[in-house]
Amino acid sequence: MLAHGGLNIQAAVDGDHSMNLPNYFIADLSSEAVLRPEMISEAGQALKRNRERYLLPRSTEAILQCIAEVARSWLTPHSPWRAKALDHGPAATGFSREMLAAGLDAFFRQVTLRNLTALVVQDLGHPQRLDRLVANDAETVQNTLGFARGPDLLVNVAAGVLPTPVFTSIIHGLIVRSAQFVKCASGASLLPRLFAHSIRDIEPKLAACLELGAWKGGTRDLDSALFGEADCVVASGSDEAIASLREAVPPRVRFLSHGHRVSAGYVAREVLGEHDAARVIAAAAEDVAAWDQLGCLSPQTIFVETGGTLPPDEFAKQLGEELARVEGRLPRGKLDDEAAAAVFRRREFYRIRAAASDSTRCWYSPESTAWSVVYEADPRFQVSCQHRFVHVKAVDTLDECLRQSEPFRGKWSTVGIAASGWRAEELSQSLAAWGITRICPLGRMQHPPLTWRHDGRPVIGDLVTWTNFERLE
Amino acid sequence: MALELFRIQFDSCPAYRRLCEMSGVSAESVRTWEAIPSVPTVAFQELELSSIPAGDRIAVFHSSGTSGQRPSRHFHSRESLALYGASLRGGFERGVLGLGGATVGEDGLQPCDGEGRALLLSLTPPTGSVPRSSLVHMIESMMGRRGGVGSCFAGRLREDGSWEVGFEEVRRVFADATDCGRPVVVLGTAFNLVHLLEHFEDAPLSRPLPAGSRVMETGGYKGRSRELTRDELHAGISLRLGVPSWRIIGEYGMSELSSQAYDAPVAGRGRERRFGFPPWARVLAISPETGRPVRDGETGLLRVLDLANVWSVLAIQTGDLGRVNGDTFELLGRASSVEPRGCSLMAA
Repeated sequence: MLAHGGLNIQAAVDGDHSMNLPNYFIADLSSEAVLRPEMISEAGQALKRNRERYLLPRSTEAILQCIAEVARSWLTPHSPWRAKALDHGPAATGFSREMLAAGLDAFFRQVTLRNLTALVVQDLGHPQRLDRLVANDAETVQNTLGFARGPDLLVNVAAGVLPTPVFTSIIHGLIVRSAQFVKCASGASLLPRLFAHSIRDIEPKLAACLELGAWKGGTRDLDSALFGEADCVVASGSDEAIASLREAVPPRVRFLSHGHRVSAGYVAREVLGEHDAARVIAAAAEDVAAWDQLGCLSPQTIFVETGGTLPPDEFAKQLGEELARVEGRLPRGKLDDEAAAAVFRRREFYRIRAAASDSTRCWYSPESTAWSVVYEADPRFQVSCQHRFVHVKAVDTLDECLRQSEPFRGKWSTVGIAASGWRAEELSQSLAAWGITRICPLGRMQHPPLTWRHDGRPVIGDLVTWTNFERLE
Repeated sequence: MALELFRIQFDSCPAYRRLCEMSGVSAESVRTWEAIPSVPTVAFQELELSSIPAGDRIAVFHSSGTSGQRPSRHFHSRESLALYGASLRGGFERGVLGLGGATVGEDGLQPCDGEGRALLLSLTPPTGSVPRSSLVHMIESMMGRRGGVGSCFAGRLREDGSWEVGFEEVRRVFADATDCGRPVVVLGTAFNLVHLLEHFEDAPLSRPLPAGSRVMETGGYKGRSRELTRDELHAGISLRLGVPSWRIIGEYGMSELSSQAYDAPVAGRGRERRFGFPPWARVLAISPETGRPVRDGETGLLRVLDLANVWSVLAIQTGDLGRVNGDTFELLGRASSVEPRGCSLMAA
């Protein structure tokens, strides 16, 4: 077994034996109480040593192949990692087994050598950019060469319960050949750990350059020890959490952040005819249901244009019926009392509003909080309480929609649109000009491609540092 | 009696009747008190849930929401105010003053004198400046009936509408009381008390309040002060005022109700405290998933059936999580607001 982190973790505590995961990563420890700042600093140093030995000498192609193989292993019917994720995931994450299976499969299906290579080329302009000084066509004309390298130690501060953004971060770190420390939110480390163990299964030397820890946000001594070893910190979370992390990161360390975002759907009137409406409603339900609407890419409001064959309130009603069908196939996860109470309070609020006014209507799953649809004639964007609680708003034009959404400008991530070909182009132009960073077909909102630019920023491009070589004339 | 009242309200309050009918409930279909349709507190914002004709309404109590939010409105007539008065007195005299057999604490010390009056000090503004506050109405009503010499309001309304505590006034009342060894009953919201504790942190009292003094705290913080947990608040009150935790009484009330619950420590159960309503109000915990009552001891959203809510709606669904055991309940936290959350993004 490869030395990892220079720590005798096995002796420190008993790990979680119920899943038969070896204590390899710090997050495998069953208790956070044993974590000390020195452990974190030592782990950081060991990771950097391992990087020199195991990661730097490897070619990009070899690394990408290895990542693609890990993804393939998750898709095989007998994958032990997938089985563990589905068996233990519902209790650890709150997602149903079916939701986890669907979400993980959709993610790993697109992690292929081809897509990984496309990401490198998109961000760095050349597939071997991370291996040596190279020139693409434009550079050849300029007679220059370029080489890019990742940070020595990349720290990812993960937030929330969705596993796939953490997987993506780990993949990005591997591609740029950085040693990585992934700091998960307390209690949210199970799936990232399974992913890390699956990498170790395929290639232990890559896993030796990766560490995972989980502790409560704002644990200053552990955070400081970690950031003290880092060259670059990538953080996700609420605006407050990010502001507080930014303060804890030393000035010499690059700090990249992804704050909280909201997303919306937009349905054009021409796809509300007899032939298209059912398909569009199914796509909308798919987006609301995906990861129980907990991601920044999930629609919280769906704008529906007036003037189509199907009026917006009827769209909302049918969306409820579709969500009921989806619930049979992809049940929503169980809620704790606080989250269920939040849904209940919202439902009551709109039930009363619907009783007081004709411009509000609502449809709720009976006997559970599984799904809720609220229609309002008021065209303003509304933040939802998530867990498959969606607002449908009637709008006359996209202009009106954007005007009403002005307070959210810069806070929107994705708009999923359903429109005919030429209108889709036109709407996308307007959305892009307004500052929306991702526009995709409705039904694909929670499945961004590997090349997706998070918050409109380069993905691995933001992590690397360049060397340019200007050749003699 | 609850069913009889329900049928009267179904017939006389059109907005309530409409809500019942929307849920497919008729006056005849309800056969047990648990099945009486409730209205959420938020309904008092959107609808006029009152059977009092507009001309007979002499008072209205508003919920203390955050600014910019439409408040709940609970209308009162002369008759309904009289009943409200009788209801609040019953709960307060027993729950806060320990009259009528209820005892607060083991030493039997009572704050009331031989005539059943006590020195009441309210940290809220007086009712003249906040006529829409049901809490202040309650305190004012109790001052008239049970307030001894020197009882007063030490709070003021600032120009921006916020409440402030007049610290000098409080110090004066405390000093007089301590000189005479007369117990004080301090009444206020949690944020009033935090303001007071912060003041005494900078300039501590030289002597603790006389033995037998009590503190009644109520309501959430609503962003008007630092937020403390109940244990932190009690520890601060004990430290700064010298009132032990078992003489601190929590009040659970809202403008939509006409009865209040008061809490008391559970004997032999450490810091555990339980609330109880007077006998004319009952509480149920409702599953947020199914909307039906949960089993005793399970967590749910509190629903109060208050027979003193005669001219509005007797069954009120709160947004607060709690656990009900028999006639008492444990409060697990008050909902910060019944309006949809998520507005923090709007402000950003």
